[in-house]
Amino acid sequence: MFTFILRRIVSGAVLLFVISTVAYFLLYLGGGDIARRILGQSATAATVAQKSHELGLDRPLPLQYLSWLGGAVHGDFGSSWFTGEPVATAITSRLAVTLSLVIGATVVSAIIAVVLGVWAATKRGWIDRVVQVVSILGFAIPGFLIALALVLYFAIALKLFQPTGYIDLGTSITGWLSTVTLPIAALSIGSIAGITAQVRGSVIDALRQDYVRTLRSRGLSSRRIVFKHVLRNAGGPALAVLAVQFIGLLGGAVIVEQIFAIPGIGNVSVTATSQGDIPLVMGLVIATAALVVIVNLLIDLLQGWLNPKVRLS
Amino acid sequence: MFRWKRLAAAAVVVALGLTGCSANTGTSGTSSTGATLNLGVLVPATSFAAAGMSWANEAPYGQAVYDGLVRANPDGTIVPWLATSWSYNADKTVLTMKLRTDVKFTDGTAFDASVAAQNLLRFRDGTAANKSFLVNVADAKASDASTLVITLKAPDPSMLTYLSQAPGLEESPKAFGSATEKTVPVGSGPYILDQAHTVVGSTYTFTKNPKYWAPKDQHYAKLVYKVFGSSTALLNALKGGQLNAANTYDNSTLTQIKAAGYTVLPLELNWTGFLLLDRDGTVAKALSDVRVRQAINYAFDTKALLKTIGQGYGTPTTQIFPVNSPGYDKSLDSYYSYDPAKAKQLMSDAGYANGFTLSTPIAPAFFGTAVYTLIKQELGAIGITVKETDPGNNFIADLLAPKYPAALMVLQEDPTAWQLANFALTDAATFNPYHVKDATVAALVAKIQTGSQADADQATKDLNTYIVKQAWFAPWYRQQSSFVVDKNTTTTVQQGNAFPYLWNFQPKG
Repeated sequence: MFTFILRRIVSGAVLLFVISTVAYFLLYLGGGDIARRILGQSATAATVAQKSHELGLDRPLPLQYLSWLGGAVHGDFGSSWFTGEPVATAITSRLAVTLSLVIGATVVSAIIAVVLGVWAATKRGWIDRVVQVVSILGFAIPGFLIALALVLYFAIALKLFQPTGYIDLGTSITGWLSTVTLPIAALSIGSIAGITAQVRGSVIDALRQDYVRTLRSRGLSSRRIVFKHVLRNAGGPALAVLAVQFIGLLGGAVIVEQIFAIPGIGNVSVTATSQGDIPLVMGLVIATAALVVIVNLLIDLLQGWLNPKVRLS
Repeated sequence: MFRWKRLAAAAVVVALGLTGCSANTGTSGTSSTGATLNLGVLVPATSFAAAGMSWANEAPYGQAVYDGLVRANPDGTIVPWLATSWSYNADKTVLTMKLRTDVKFTDGTAFDASVAAQNLLRFRDGTAANKSFLVNVADAKASDASTLVITLKAPDPSMLTYLSQAPGLEESPKAFGSATEKTVPVGSGPYILDQAHTVVGSTYTFTKNPKYWAPKDQHYAKLVYKVFGSSTALLNALKGGQLNAANTYDNSTLTQIKAAGYTVLPLELNWTGFLLLDRDGTVAKALSDVRVRQAINYAFDTKALLKTIGQGYGTPTTQIFPVNSPGYDKSLDSYYSYDPAKAKQLMSDAGYANGFTLSTPIAPAFFGTAVYTLIKQELGAIGITVKETDPGNNFIADLLAPKYPAALMVLQEDPTAWQLANFALTDAATFNPYHVKDATVAALVAKIQTGSQADADQATKDLNTYIVKQAWFAPWYRQQSSFVVDKNTTTTVQQGNAFPYLWNFQPKG
């Protein structure tokens, strides 16, 4: 087990290095004149040249990359070129916001999807058909459209929630709920659809297994069979889908955070990338890649705990 | 059997949601008491270091935490602030300013002439976007604690206007060069940045400076600036009543904003049109002929372009000087009226009866695509074939490199003639990338620089007329910028600036 974790950590580190190198060079390919973008159209050519020099943009590209890498290895990711904020601070404060949305959406979608999936798989008939149609619809409607509709109806027309902004959980729980409920709802819908379909399929498969018949013949209640035995077996594939959805939700957060003006990493990613704020974008790339590596590792461990057959050691 | 449990769970979720919201409507609603001013802004602060600050949409950041040497009234008139009086020597190369002596920075350091001199020189030598404003400053010294002497290499008629903007902001000398200078401002201004409630790039909170020397200008106990990266989020925040006032991205949302109870304060800050940069014909020989440039002016149907591209918000014009400039002449708004036949005749007179090819960069991400179709059509109608290139993020850099002889652009209308000349007309101007020299322009600009007020005003008028007749540009219209305020807030738009000045915001009633 320990060797497995160690191997995953080492491969994760290699992955981070490769991703950071590719990202750095890609950023430069589409970069353009960053100093001009920082200073705007009114700055003179001399001012722009001086700014380029100050940021080290007049050095050869490999040298710039090495100097960034040297800092990054020592935990110094520099400061944003557009706001002066240290990259580490910018990311940690925003990651917490995004994670509260993404984890919230994952929990909500997991619970609802399991309930719907099991319901459809055990009841079948019209309930099953309705659940299937609804989940296809949920999958088909774009997240941003759902987000916009939710804002217009629940925040602006009914004034039940805040249309934009974010209130920290530590400041006020009710305030936090009023700012995250709609984004979580918008994020969850697509994800619920995907997981529901998976849970439904897995549960139907598991219900056909011999051990279920044996358990039934031993007189166990159907609820006990489904929740104690079937779900545990059907959980593996659903968990794999959940992991993919979790990472997908990070992508979904980009749009949802824009619509709700939430200061998360999705929102800042869009701004920083379009501006060419290289230190901040690089920090975001590393943070997101590390998160994906960690989530995948955790899911692998969870799979092992759920299903002894996939344990490695 | 478990239905009641599910119902109960659903009820709890709904109740939680509702309590969350109802508890919050009190704080999210628009404030009318002057307790908090919620401002919607379009950009974060590039830097909070006084020597690196930007202006325009970033002005409210600097004005919250710093005092300026002088202030500009909404009409642009310069009035005293930290400098109580000032005077120039005879040849306008030495500006002497008397400064207040009762001002302290929030770290307890006293403000004096030596601090003011250091701030000026730091701005001149820094990398702020407008550092070139101080290019004429040879030196700044304190002759005594309350007297600042600024020596200029050459007269600069806009110096006082510059000192009312970023170059005049005063930062505590103890903060100079500190590790947190860009994010933690130390000034003497009416408000202090509340870092605990600030998320850089998204939300900036400022609290009242309890020891401010001019408390009459602190109209609010707290300021909250919310940065909106998209027009949709800004519109939703306005519709939800989360903002007292905001700058807007585009005029297409104004109807909805008005319906939400906001008042629109219009202001014309920029002009949209075609830049005819290569007037010497370095790469596009045809543009060196004034008749061709005039033909291009006649080829554009400015009224139709305003309607379709500018959604009708603005005024058609063929001049680049703003309405409040002494150089402004109403008749120049329609000097070239849409006349393709006349345009064709001018092309033929210039020897281009068969037209020519004009290479131009496009920026569909900024201007959309419809406008480029119209340009192709209208120039095509007089025989000019437009060859488009999309330089992506490098649009402005390539334009100023210079890589293109002409381009569609939105340019600012600077508040003073001297600024406008240095921005777009003189041979060293940023938006004269081919460095086209013109003796008439040089002579008129020299008069603006060194002449008496009356002479300078006349020279500005002559300069504007000359530029229009020589067709240096092909302007279409001055587009309306729209600042919006709710029913509890008043402010006055600032001539030449995208954001009203902070001290002009007041709670109504």
